[in-house]
Amino acid sequence: MSNEAVVMKNVCKDFKVLNRHEGLKGSIRDLFSRDYKTVSAVKDVTLTVDKGEIIGYLGPNGAGKSTTIKMMTGVLEPTSGEILVNGRTPYKNRTENCEHIGVVFGQRSQLWWSLPLIESFKLLRDLYMVEQKDYEEMIELYRSLVDIEPILHKPVRQMSLGQRTLSDILAAFLHNPDIVFLDEPTIGLDVSMKSKIRELILGLNKEKNTTVILTTHDMGDVDALCKRIVIIDEGTKIYDNDIEHLKNYFGSYRTLKLKHADDSWEEMLIDEKTTDVMDVILEKQKQQKIKDVKILEISTEEVIRKIYEGGAK
Amino acid sequence: MNPKRLLSITRAGIMEALHFRLGIFVTLFANLIYLVLVYYLWKAIYASSGSDVVNGMSFTDTMIYLILATALFNFLEMFVVWDMSRSIQSGKIVLDLLKPMRFRKYTFWSYTGNHVVQFVLTFIPTFIVVMIVTKGAIPMGLNLLWFIIATVMALLINYNIEMMVAPICLFTESTWGINIVKETIVLLLSGASIPLAFFPEKARLIVSYLPFRAVYDIPLSILLGKSGSDTWSGLINLFALQCAWLIVLTIAGNLFWNHAVKKITVNGG
Repeated sequence: MSNEAVVMKNVCKDFKVLNRHEGLKGSIRDLFSRDYKTVSAVKDVTLTVDKGEIIGYLGPNGAGKSTTIKMMTGVLEPTSGEILVNGRTPYKNRTENCEHIGVVFGQRSQLWWSLPLIESFKLLRDLYMVEQKDYEEMIELYRSLVDIEPILHKPVRQMSLGQRTLSDILAAFLHNPDIVFLDEPTIGLDVSMKSKIRELILGLNKEKNTTVILTTHDMGDVDALCKRIVIIDEGTKIYDNDIEHLKNYFGSYRTLKLKHADDSWEEMLIDEKTTDVMDVILEKQKQQKIKDVKILEISTEEVIRKIYEGGAK
Repeated sequence: MNPKRLLSITRAGIMEALHFRLGIFVTLFANLIYLVLVYYLWKAIYASSGSDVVNGMSFTDTMIYLILATALFNFLEMFVVWDMSRSIQSGKIVLDLLKPMRFRKYTFWSYTGNHVVQFVLTFIPTFIVVMIVTKGAIPMGLNLLWFIIATVMALLINYNIEMMVAPICLFTESTWGINIVKETIVLLLSGASIPLAFFPEKARLIVSYLPFRAVYDIPLSILLGKSGSDTWSGLINLFALQCAWLIVLTIAGNLFWNHAVKKITVNGG
């Protein structure tokens, strides 16, 4: 058995988009237009994910994250390149591949809307042909990880967003898939629900050694769950390493906070490789009186923001 | 093929359909209003024709036919076109494509629960009422069994028509228009709104070979012992027509869907 859950080699994905014209005249012209342009959503991405790993797949909106996830699940066919998920080419045997993966899209639910959660579970059990024994074991595991009793007999449409997301994650793990894709699972959730969901994902990953590929915009998720992160921007992979490396990968940044005479704080981000923090303080002190100084380590969020805003280039 | 899977999906479908029980009562009520209208309309038609039997059908025959056609319509009605175009627009189709079952099969079975509920709660009561009111105008015998077989075939044919129209909506991006066109064509040419016996000679000949007839007219004719279904050769003819169209439409539906799924997977819908 190979140790790789996902292997992507030079994967590209182009979309053909009609060039729309402006105004009513343009709209009429578009009716007959053959004027297509090609948009590259994913450009030459090579990526390997090991079994049992939780990786954070990050990137600004429209970077190509969802497109990559869809290619890995088999819903989208890559324009070129090779993808293997658990040794299978996902888009060629989509149905078969689906038996071994689980998917959660944070914005929509795969559960049966008007039925109690337990009915959705039973249906998924039969749909994925899970043995009764394994099913019961899984439910037991769920019980030990989260308090599912209050939601088990509740119709999905009556659930809060948090409960629904929790249910969706449980549903995605029910058939004990080798790999689970979580697309923004904590979107729109409150702080306590977020931490519950993070604990649940960690617990399931640990118990079942499930590979988890997570896309998110919440750096709290990344800090809590991922050892390794992959960042893509405009379809190109720009970072792929440990989260520890990230902080000094693009320069060793520090946040410097200065308190002025009028009690206002001034904040600046300083790259220690190019500028000396002490120099900045001295410089500022010449201009005006400084009452207090704070030097903070940069947060993941800020590093990521810098990368998204073009700090990487 | 795993029967447990299919039963499980049907079971969930029944539970979901029963959840919207109010909708079923509203359907029954709407049918009642529609049937009152149909009753007076045809009463006027028969009165103006001056004879009791028009085109080989008595007033009672016509009424039974139309009432049962309405009940059958409620039972056969599918919303594949609506549901699919909505899920393509919202992107929910991705989740359906990620089920460990072929999409076409999964979609079909996700409707069966609703069919079962509609059959039991609208078709059977209507049938019983018609039987009591007409005091046995519907022959009772083997024709009931043939009717059930023909209805299952009609269900499959109807599903394949839906599966052909749904991908068209994907290309035109206009669901409402296409769906109305489909609905009107099916209802008119299948004999659900006007019994085919009332069509002009030439039109009837053409319509009798089209697939739409296989959805409403054939099951009803078999039930009522019309269109030669009271003889073995007539019955076999009707079933042969259904089978032929089922095969043709299944292949065509497959082609249309495969083309659509290609568009979804290549261009993201």
